[in-house]
Amino acid sequence: MTILIETRDVSRAFAVGRGLFAKKRMLHAVNGVSLAVREGEVLAIVGESGCGKSTLAKMLLGLLAPSAGAVLIGGTDARSLARVEIARRVQPVFQDPYSSLNPRRRIADIVALPLEVHRVGASGERRRRAVEMLERVGLPARLAPAYPGQLSGGQRQRVAIARALVMQPEIVICDEPTSALDVSVQSQILNLLMDLQRELGTTLVFISHNLAVVEHIATRVAVMYLGRVVEEAEAGALFGAPQHPYTQALLASALTPEPGLGVPDLGLGPAFPDPLSPPAGCAFHPRCNRRFAPCDAVEPVLQPRAGGRVACHLAGV
Amino acid sequence: MSLLDVERLTVDLATPQGTLHAVRGVSFAVDRGETLCLVGESGCGKSMTSLALMDLLPKAASRRAVRLSFGGVELGDLSPARMNDLRGNRIAMIFQEPMTALNPAYTIGDQMTEGFRRHKRVGRAQAEARAVDLLGRVGIASARERLGQYPHQLSGGLRQRVMIATALMCGPDLLIADEPTTALDVTIQAQILRLLGELAEEFGLALVLITHDLGVVARIATRVAVMYAGEIVETGAAADLFAAPRHPYTQGLLDCIPVPGRTPRGSRLGAIPGVVPSLVGALKGCAFRSRCRFARPDCETDIPWRVDARGHGARCVLA
Ligand SMILES: Nc1ncnc2c1ncn2[C@@H]1O[C@H](COP(=O)(O)OP(=O)(O)OP(=O)(O)O)[C@@H](O)[C@H]1O
Ligand SMILES: Nc1ncnc2c1ncn2[C@@H]1O[C@H](COP(=O)(O)OP(=O)(O)OP(=O)(O)O)[C@@H](O)[C@H]1O
Ligand code: SF4
Ligand SMILES: [Mg+2]
Ligand SMILES: [Mg+2]
Repeated sequence: MTILIETRDVSRAFAVGRGLFAKKRMLHAVNGVSLAVREGEVLAIVGESGCGKSTLAKMLLGLLAPSAGAVLIGGTDARSLARVEIARRVQPVFQDPYSSLNPRRRIADIVALPLEVHRVGASGERRRRAVEMLERVGLPARLAPAYPGQLSGGQRQRVAIARALVMQPEIVICDEPTSALDVSVQSQILNLLMDLQRELGTTLVFISHNLAVVEHIATRVAVMYLGRVVEEAEAGALFGAPQHPYTQALLASALTPEPGLGVPDLGLGPAFPDPLSPPAGCAFHPRCNRRFAPCDAVEPVLQPRAGGRVACHLAGV
Repeated sequence: MSLLDVERLTVDLATPQGTLHAVRGVSFAVDRGETLCLVGESGCGKSMTSLALMDLLPKAASRRAVRLSFGGVELGDLSPARMNDLRGNRIAMIFQEPMTALNPAYTIGDQMTEGFRRHKRVGRAQAEARAVDLLGRVGIASARERLGQYPHQLSGGLRQRVMIATALMCGPDLLIADEPTTALDVTIQAQILRLLGELAEEFGLALVLITHDLGVVARIATRVAVMYAGEIVETGAAADLFAAPRHPYTQGLLDCIPVPGRTPRGSRLGAIPGVVPSLVGALKGCAFRSRCRFARPDCETDIPWRVDARGHGARCVLA
């Protein structure tokens, strides 16, 4: 399958410091990630809060420059592509439908804005396409003149999705598109994304920490920990037989709505991951219940295993 | 009598549009060692219910109840001073928004120890030792250094855990936790839920937990109360309610979430079309009827609460 977008050993660090004059320290938010997104798939990126998912998404969208490595869109280095060219092919849907829409613009204008930016058609044509897209995502045309403040959270997220789709991008990057929403609204948005993926063939990158949702819609999953991909596999394989101890802990801590099962004891160490002082060796070793000799000294590399890729010393033994 | 006994609790809010009935006659009870989970759509009155118990409602709000008893004491009759003695001491709360509950001008250590020192009349060193111990139990490393930090220096997840540890300082009998784990990683969430479970078992802590996460509810609730538009529409033991929900709103909620192994991957999820009715002004009959696929004419009349032998109750003409 064609690779639409790809990261090659991409990293992003931020200089952070306490006071105004304190010495800045480097925070490695994303650290040497290589991932390929293939046409028509739903690639999910999961991992704990702060592991670098949103930073990676911003680099895929061309909103943030990598500090090392490259993002390739259709085989071309994103650095040699114009902002509008990237935006025509890759579009975002963000977590918060309340702050991501301009409160002073009408719904139809919000959705038509990308067409305006890309100088597509005349104003009447743009409006027609915007209303068409609103209907496509399940918003009646009568809402076109409304303002975001008059819509519910789910309706606003539909507007954000319509805006992302109106240019018919190849890829939509959804960063926690439902985590701010009620479960009843979440299911509507997930149904919509699955329909669009099937009917329009839109490729999705789906960032979430809700594993039940990921298992439901993803075709492939990449698991991140402290800025790195530690495991990647087809969704069925990953959920059926997770290889990395962190993936195993993550899946075990997902609480399915089954009464009587209680909350599992994960046997994880309490050392909370800190991107400002990542541990030596395997970044997960302070919490890992299966660590052995090489883990605190040697960093495991991501290598092929069981049809996917795993970065763990256990995978070699 | 239960540790907490709430009967027909009502919270009204004065708004420019008229009186908003945020909580409309809610009744429930929680015993020592039990966990009651409150679930329901955004805006259905969960936070107002918990703030009413703590007597911390916003100024525009007024509270009424037939009974609001805690440990045999009627909270409605308490003087503000007596309520202050209970609050943060025997009844503790974890607020939905940690930033509004933490004072930006004081260190974490000051805020964690203030109530403990006042209620338990102990010195700073003893209070700090307890704070360090509890921060460790909620998974915060280098706890001693954290005591000297200010709220804005902590991430959302750390703040939320500080709130949880602070609420546990005095060893409360009742803990009201409003979405306490939303900013936490699932692995840390599991650790904290286990801690709360241990406290319930060891010390008989009673827990009222407000959450959107039906997975959490299924795993830790003794009883579940489902709220819709300011009312409890269904309540029962977690196992009964998940196995055989009796109210169409509860059924709708459970259909919305994919359950690994049960919901076929990629299949369409259930949905609840429509929106919640306005809570301003009077509501008659079932508030869910405009969204309910089983609605029929008698849903517009007052519907009695029906409860079965196992204490599984619902307010629906079909129940
Ligand atoms: N502009 C920035 N300046 C400094 N640090 C940053 C910046 N953006 C992100 N970070 C840090 O980089 C790390 C990764 O952040 P990122 O937002 O990518 O995580 P995430 O996986 O999306 O987390 P979440 O699940 O909470 O959204 C975090 O430690 C974060 O604090
Ligand atoms: N200060 C206020 N003034 C007026 N109305 C308010 C105020 N605070 C809350 N409300 C309204 O009261 C109702 C109940 O709100 P509450 O905060 O209890 O909801 P909730 O169930 O906790 O929702 P969420 O899940 O979003 O936290 C809502 O309709 C809300 O809009
Ligand atoms: S009372 Fe009527 S409208 Fe309400 S949930 Fe039951 S069937 Fe539906
Ligand atoms: Mg993020
Ligand atoms: Mg609330």
